[in-house]
Amino acid sequence: MTLAADTFSFVADLVRQRSAIQLESGKEYLVESRLLPLARDAKLPSVDAYVRGLRSVPRQHELERVVEALTTNETSWFRDVTPFRALTDHVVPELLASRPGTSSLRVWSAACSTGQEAYTIGMSLLESAPKLRVHITATDLSQEVLVKGRSGRYSQLEVNRGLPAPMLVKHFTRVGTDWEISQRLRSMVTFSKHNLMHAPPAGGPFDVVFLRNVLIYFDLATKRDVLRRAQSVVRPGGFLLLGAAETTIGIDDGWERIPVGRSSVYRLNARRAA
Amino acid sequence: MSTLAPFMTAQIEAIAEEVFAAMVDGEPGHLVPLPAPAELTDPLYAWVDMHADVSGRALIATDVTTAHALARALLGMPDDEPVGEADLVDAFGEVANVVGGNLKALLPVQGTLTLPRVGRPVPALAGATKVDEVALSWRGLPLDITVWQI
Amino acid sequence: MRALVIDDSRAMRRIVSRILAEIGYETAEAADGRQALDLLEAGERFDLACIDWNMPVMNGLELVVAVRARREWRDLTMMMVTTESEHGQIVRALAAGAHEYLIKPFTPDAIRDKLELLGLVPQEEMA
Repeated sequence: MTLAADTFSFVADLVRQRSAIQLESGKEYLVESRLLPLARDAKLPSVDAYVRGLRSVPRQHELERVVEALTTNETSWFRDVTPFRALTDHVVPELLASRPGTSSLRVWSAACSTGQEAYTIGMSLLESAPKLRVHITATDLSQEVLVKGRSGRYSQLEVNRGLPAPMLVKHFTRVGTDWEISQRLRSMVTFSKHNLMHAPPAGGPFDVVFLRNVLIYFDLATKRDVLRRAQSVVRPGGFLLLGAAETTIGIDDGWERIPVGRSSVYRLNARRAA
Repeated sequence: MSTLAPFMTAQIEAIAEEVFAAMVDGEPGHLVPLPAPAELTDPLYAWVDMHADVSGRALIATDVTTAHALARALLGMPDDEPVGEADLVDAFGEVANVVGGNLKALLPVQGTLTLPRVGRPVPALAGATKVDEVALSWRGLPLDITVWQI
Repeated sequence: MRALVIDDSRAMRRIVSRILAEIGYETAEAADGRQALDLLEAGERFDLACIDWNMPVMNGLELVVAVRARREWRDLTMMMVTTESEHGQIVRALAAGAHEYLIKPFTPDAIRDKLELLGLVPQEEMA
């Protein structure tokens, strides 16, 4: 299936404006293969149809998805490392101290994509707090990534990305050319479809929310809305973890910033912002 | 006893796709399956032999000029730079090594791999039967992967 | 920071060295375990060794065992970079003392990710 010339030039311009990445002619096949999942998700028959729709009604969120699809490679495990250390070394001990006798923990991994973050949370908690009953709600807009996340099956290239080898051998088994995560870890995570623009997902109230590298795609008003909706499903004293370059400061004063090592975590103030 | 039958076409294609995307091209999409093997005008071969409880061979066949382009891509050389004999053998052999190594991992019994070899014609593998053949097109150039079992 | 790249394939040594150089490493190469040991015995010091498994003379696993047997080389972080991808092989390598394991084929990002896990990404020097 060949791409229409103006589809390609629209996408190339968009990507160049937003990411400085150049898509020269000859890369039509890349645009086709990367945007086909988005077209299918929008229930459209072709990438041309999908881009036509985008050009007539340009939605910020959708435009960002296109850019991300063309500029991201695989997602990685233990992304940035420090948030997961912050989770096991600071967040969980704090939560257990403030609620003695707690035996379970509820975590939300928002915009979870193919599930690496959710399973990384699971692995981290299994290692550091094995007696805790952990429920992880992993949500994303795209049905395709949810199916993959539920399967827990990843290619060799995917497991090469930031997954410590001891974690690989401990929690995965080989299935043909792929690696499949253990049944135990799969049972800790529930994948469901969710749009951050809508009411929060079921599975809460949550003790910890991972909302990493998502807010960067939104304007200020939308950031506020997303954070406000997240607040409504977080327990008082619960935690929010953002991406390395992100902060709630200047956006939502309901959270207290706590430096942990070289990163920060955000704790919901018991007294909610008016 | 193992057979090399686990090497279904889809798995060979998946392995080839990963090897080329990761190490040769730096991105997916340059390798597509062909309905049938294309005629090679000036073939060169790279292969590794596998030994588990059964023995076999993973063989890559392509035109000499394609093998040069492959070496150039793998080594990050510019289009006009000539590839020396040693680099050609080394790079093309390494592609066979990585493809063969990943195929070996599909065997139910742990096996070993010989060091890769490059040349022509391919030395015969006595008593071998062809298990699978995958015809591919890399940047429009034909490339063929065959798996043999003894 | 210095890295030693050990692989019997010159192409592979070149690829790995180039990726490490872009990350900020000074690199040296060896074609087999014996050559690598010779460099270490001669007093060369490295922060990281990327080690192929299947090599003539002395293979990667043998090298890992030999390095771990010497207290003075305790600071050398060893990462296997190999086509050996069976579960059991990875377990063997880690048990022998390898710190990390990267399966071929790999991307430059994959190497960077592993180095981040190990805390071995050279930081920019502040002016």
